[in-house]
Amino acid sequence: MDRWALLMVGLPLAGALLGLLLADILGRRVAQLSIALSLGTFVASVALLSRMLGGEPAATLALADDWGLLLLDPLSSLMAVVVSGISLIVHLFARRYMAEEAGYARFFVLLDLMTAALLVMVSAGDLITLLVAWHLVGVLLYFLLGQDVRSPTAYRYAFWTLLTYRIGDLPLALAAGLLFHAYGTWSLPEIFAAMAAGPQAQVLGMPLPEVVGGLIALSAFARSAQFLLHTWLPYTMGGPTPVSALMHAGIVNAGGFLINRFAPVFVQTGDVLHWVFLMGLVTAVIGSVLMLAQHDVKKALGYSTMGQMGFMIMECGVGAFSLAIYHLIAHGVFKGTLFLGAGGVIGQARRDDGVPKDELYTFVVERRPARQRRPWLLMAVITLAVPGVILVMTHYLVEQGFFHRQGAVVLLFFGWITGAQLIFTTYRMRTENLARLFTLMLVSFTVVVVGYTLISHAFDLFLYPDPALREGIHAAAGIAPVWFDALVGLVTAVIVLGWLFTYYAEQQGGRGRDWLAGLRRRFYGAISQELLVNDLYGWVSRRMQAGAERLNLWLRWS
Amino acid sequence: MSLGMQMLGGLFLPLFPLSLVLNRGLARLRHPYQRALLIILWPQLGVLLVTRADAPVPAWLAAWALATALLYAYRAIALRDLGLWIAFLATSAWALLWLSDSSPGLRHLEALGLSAPLVLLTLLGGGLEALVGAVSTWTGLGLASTAPRYAAVLVLGVLASIATPLSPGFITLAATLADQAPGAPALAVGVALVWLLWSWSGARLIQGLVVGPGGRDRIADLSLPMAWVYGLAVAGLGLAGISLAGALL
Repeated sequence: MDRWALLMVGLPLAGALLGLLLADILGRRVAQLSIALSLGTFVASVALLSRMLGGEPAATLALADDWGLLLLDPLSSLMAVVVSGISLIVHLFARRYMAEEAGYARFFVLLDLMTAALLVMVSAGDLITLLVAWHLVGVLLYFLLGQDVRSPTAYRYAFWTLLTYRIGDLPLALAAGLLFHAYGTWSLPEIFAAMAAGPQAQVLGMPLPEVVGGLIALSAFARSAQFLLHTWLPYTMGGPTPVSALMHAGIVNAGGFLINRFAPVFVQTGDVLHWVFLMGLVTAVIGSVLMLAQHDVKKALGYSTMGQMGFMIMECGVGAFSLAIYHLIAHGVFKGTLFLGAGGVIGQARRDDGVPKDELYTFVVERRPARQRRPWLLMAVITLAVPGVILVMTHYLVEQGFFHRQGAVVLLFFGWITGAQLIFTTYRMRTENLARLFTLMLVSFTVVVVGYTLISHAFDLFLYPDPALREGIHAAAGIAPVWFDALVGLVTAVIVLGWLFTYYAEQQGGRGRDWLAGLRRRFYGAISQELLVNDLYGWVSRRMQAGAERLNLWLRWS
Repeated sequence: MSLGMQMLGGLFLPLFPLSLVLNRGLARLRHPYQRALLIILWPQLGVLLVTRADAPVPAWLAAWALATALLYAYRAIALRDLGLWIAFLATSAWALLWLSDSSPGLRHLEALGLSAPLVLLTLLGGGLEALVGAVSTWTGLGLASTAPRYAAVLVLGVLASIATPLSPGFITLAATLADQAPGAPALAVGVALVWLLWSWSGARLIQGLVVGPGGRDRIADLSLPMAWVYGLAVAGLGLAGISLAGALL
């Protein structure tokens, strides 16, 4: 296992070094070298994962005395396959995509270094190695986003990314300091074992896990573009498309990984996971709303990633840690595909804008039949009942005790809303055969839900084989049953009434009262300006620089 | 006596306003070798004085040192001149040595580790200044396009100066955070803020000097042997960081 682990980390490093030294000799063939080593990295990580799946116990590999540990466990082996797989795809895509760009060799050197940093990050077995890799990912991303060294614009947004990542690095460094001081070791397995065994130390009058968990969550928020730390994400489209794909498919997911890595800390916390849930929820909603208001496909994808990251963090907040890992993998695959295909979509949009035409226009001018309508109340009932039944049945078949987990119930709500939205979209679609479309949609929804449930259950057993830890995570994320039941009742009522109102309003042709229309316009104005968060940050940074300049003048530059 | 020694140390591990002496001195020295020598020796004298005092650093002095580090890190975000940036970063970095809990020998190494990348930048900046007159972001050098070897070494030097892994500065700051976080969390947060401001100013400097289309005149790039020398020096900084990690962490 050690040999595969060394190969996995060493090959991309060797690729970067060889690319740097042989760039003049190899010319464009530097890409082929990089791809070959990238393929080797992927094979090594798959070999590691297969050993883990074969039941080999977790192990550590020491590269130095006190730090430089690689932790080879189910989480690191799974994440290594994801990282090396996405990296390999990006390498293959970039070979031709970047062919006309200046700094071709530099790009592949940076890409290899980034792959190595990510692999070290996911397999770090001690706090220093984790900090080094965590920090380097931000620095390397800065230069990858600024691949076009003649473009100050690309660097302006790369700068925002760097600064946000640094904001996220520092809480992790503080958490590392606190953990080292409390347990006298940098090794993560030793810290987790000591934490599980003994009474918890106090910091600032609070239990150590509470403080450390909060700091780690902050780091995860910055890395995974949670609300107020998200502004870098949609604006880094000036970088090359392969970098966007790598960033959205791999790097931005690191927050979910970090929370999973520190699961033994979060088990000991009281309220931290509730805050994590709240932050994820706010981010998921705001990211999705902002996505809908974008006119630029890549920016819309950027905000979509923000929404997805919110959902991933929210999953951690409800204790569904392994589900977050599955989510980040699934998101990585589909978002990477979307980014790499974004150019084709833009080309297609130039031929057909895809804007739906008014119903009256299609009926009178195009002489196409008006869409079929069903009674709104019947459709509202179907919308609410069908997804709920599918979700509950599926979860019941996979694991009957899921109702005891509050987190699972919370996620069912989101599945319910998603399914309902899908049916509503079908209801609004213009089709001559509504029954066929409806059946197809229902079958695909069922397949997705069954697949999602089965796979997430399998992930749970693979990543957290210890049932006590699994239960501990769910317990740490839970709230008092009375409050939970009350919330479930309230949210159910809101959803049911909301959908009834939506169908009713749709039946009335979308006409609303004046004050509601005014409110809608103001809301649209706010989201089309991205809630002014970017403007606020820009203003603050300009004021800070102006203040520093005045201070320098006053102190005569010394 | 020990307090007097510590206050004298405040001149060399600069505490504002004593830090003005160092910065005016660096501004007066025009030759890069003289500046490099000062950057190497100045904090060593400070560490010598502070360790000779053989007394714990009082809380008010630690707070003063942190305030100085924050002041110069903040002021550095508005700088456009490489020489000034080096002086401000040196002031900010050396002030943080007051917060180190390391043994005297290690503290000398920490000071050296913080100075070394700044020396490298001073020498590189001297060479560039001889070519273009002023190494300032006003001049729109666009080094990545006009002189890529200079750009590469400059970027690596700036990264090492702002305590990017695995530079010695990174290990020093990580150790300082680990020392201060449990007992003095406010100081630890302050150190983290200094670190953040360094990154801000460093990234602005890189963008100002390296990015952009560059001027019409070509700059004679760093020769290949010199690029190798600087490259090996940067690699040496990385190795020094790794060995310092073994001692400090």
